Amino acid sequence: MARILFVVPPLAGHVNPTVAVGAELARRGHVVAWSGPPVVRPLLPPGAELFVAGEAIDDAMVGAVRHRTAGMRGAAALKFLWEDFLVPLARATVADVADAIVSLRPDVVVSDQQTVAGALEARRAGVTWVTSATTPAELVGPFEALPKVGAWVRQQLVDLQVSCGVPVEDAARGDLRFSDELVIAFTTAELVGVPVHAPSPVAFVGPAIGGRPDGPDFPWEQLGPHPRVMVSLGTVNDAAGSRFYAAACEALGALGGSHVLVAPPDDVAASTGMPPANVVVRPRVPQLALLEHLDAVVTHGGNNTVCEALAHGIPLVVAPIRDDQGIIAEEVVRAGAGVRVRFGRIRPAELHAALAAVLEVPTYRDAAKRLAGSFARAGGAVAAADLLEAVAAKAHGAPLAQEG
Amino acid sequence: MAAHTDTAPGQAGEAAWTQDAILAAVATLVGEVIGEDYLEGIPITMATSFADDIEMESIEFVALAERVRERFGDKVDFIGWLAEMELDEIMGLTVGQLVGMILACLTS
Repeated sequence: MARILFVVPPLAGHVNPTVAVGAELARRGHVVAWSGPPVVRPLLPPGAELFVAGEAIDDAMVGAVRHRTAGMRGAAALKFLWEDFLVPLARATVADVADAIVSLRPDVVVSDQQTVAGALEARRAGVTWVTSATTPAELVGPFEALPKVGAWVRQQLVDLQVSCGVPVEDAARGDLRFSDELVIAFTTAELVGVPVHAPSPVAFVGPAIGGRPDGPDFPWEQLGPHPRVMVSLGTVNDAAGSRFYAAACEALGALGGSHVLVAPPDDVAASTGMPPANVVVRPRVPQLALLEHLDAVVTHGGNNTVCEALAHGIPLVVAPIRDDQGIIAEEVVRAGAGVRVRFGRIRPAELHAALAAVLEVPTYRDAAKRLAGSFARAGGAVAAADLLEAVAAKAHGAPLAQEG
Repeated sequence: MAAHTDTAPGQAGEAAWTQDAILAAVATLVGEVIGEDYLEGIPITMATSFADDIEMESIEFVALAERVRERFGDKVDFIGWLAEMELDEIMGLTVGQLVGMILACLTS
């Protein structure tokens, strides 16, 4: 029996894969717990052990961060991500993460690439740690063309550690985003499509889906004839988001069929008035159940939604907004499983044409199905659990091992 | 391919590029990339910021880099120029900086 601690950020896309892996490990009799802000509680299975890290990080605070990032793109979004979100998140949680490690005495800490507090404290405690990469962004050398930007991100991590009392020479070693032991990537090499740039071994397990609490209700009787498209942009709340909702409603209205727009109904009404009769607007949906019934998905390029659609063999239209979404959009295009469109300046005709392509040209669906096959072969949560068991066994064999 | 006019400077034997001519050409390329109608009410000047004023998306920026190469030739090393930039420089990038880089490349 091993003891595994997942250190996660307050982001559903980063928590969900750990839930699936945690469920598999628990099924095998291992002790599994999470460390993260209280807002991750609803994402975990009932009764899951959560060591709260960053008690003050509530829905209002996460919402405020989302609100501030809404209008940001590109370099400004990257700066904000590290300076105003990930580094403060680490500072607010390190002490609690350290306490969780003391309390649980894990054999392995699984630290999300964006919750560097997990890596920091595991390193400091001499506990074996593994990186959870829930997005491919950091694996494809995102800063190769912008080396000074890459150096800036690294410096944020060094400065963070020094400010947390880590000796300068220790802080400069390695990279909190990449465990020397293992990086578990919840995607496949087939989807990433380019050689990996990582300083440590990367294991592709594919998306780890399932094990989650049930989703919200859905009015299934309102799903009508095919084609059926879901439009889901995550949380957008700026003018560009409103333009996209309006363009989506117009494109979907003209497309015929029966569609789902995942968005706050008030925002959609404010953007476009009454949505077309063939578009159901819901603030949240039971996405996995809904995907069983769909023909295409329009997304901003969140890795979970992209991988879940592809796992169902569903082609995509991707309108990336910021952060890793451009990289994810490019991999979908490269794999032939979808079309990339603009987000801010999308036109209804452009979106309609993209949707018509992925719905009518069979190569997109064929590529999506091929990727679904790569996901199934990669093993998902079962493969990730196998890897963590092996790392835990190795950690047991070397109780004095320092650093991961 | 971006359209070349018969009188475009910089062609073999033609007059050298000026800052104003490059600015006008860049403004046209920006309009082609993001759509002329989206540029209504946004004058493209040397001070125009790609991020704040035009809200240029990365895919549009890549398209602009390609059009700049087509329009001005391989002497203009857009990618190499960006590679030297700090994060804050990229955030604050202006049309004027791009125009200045192009001018420097073409006259060096």
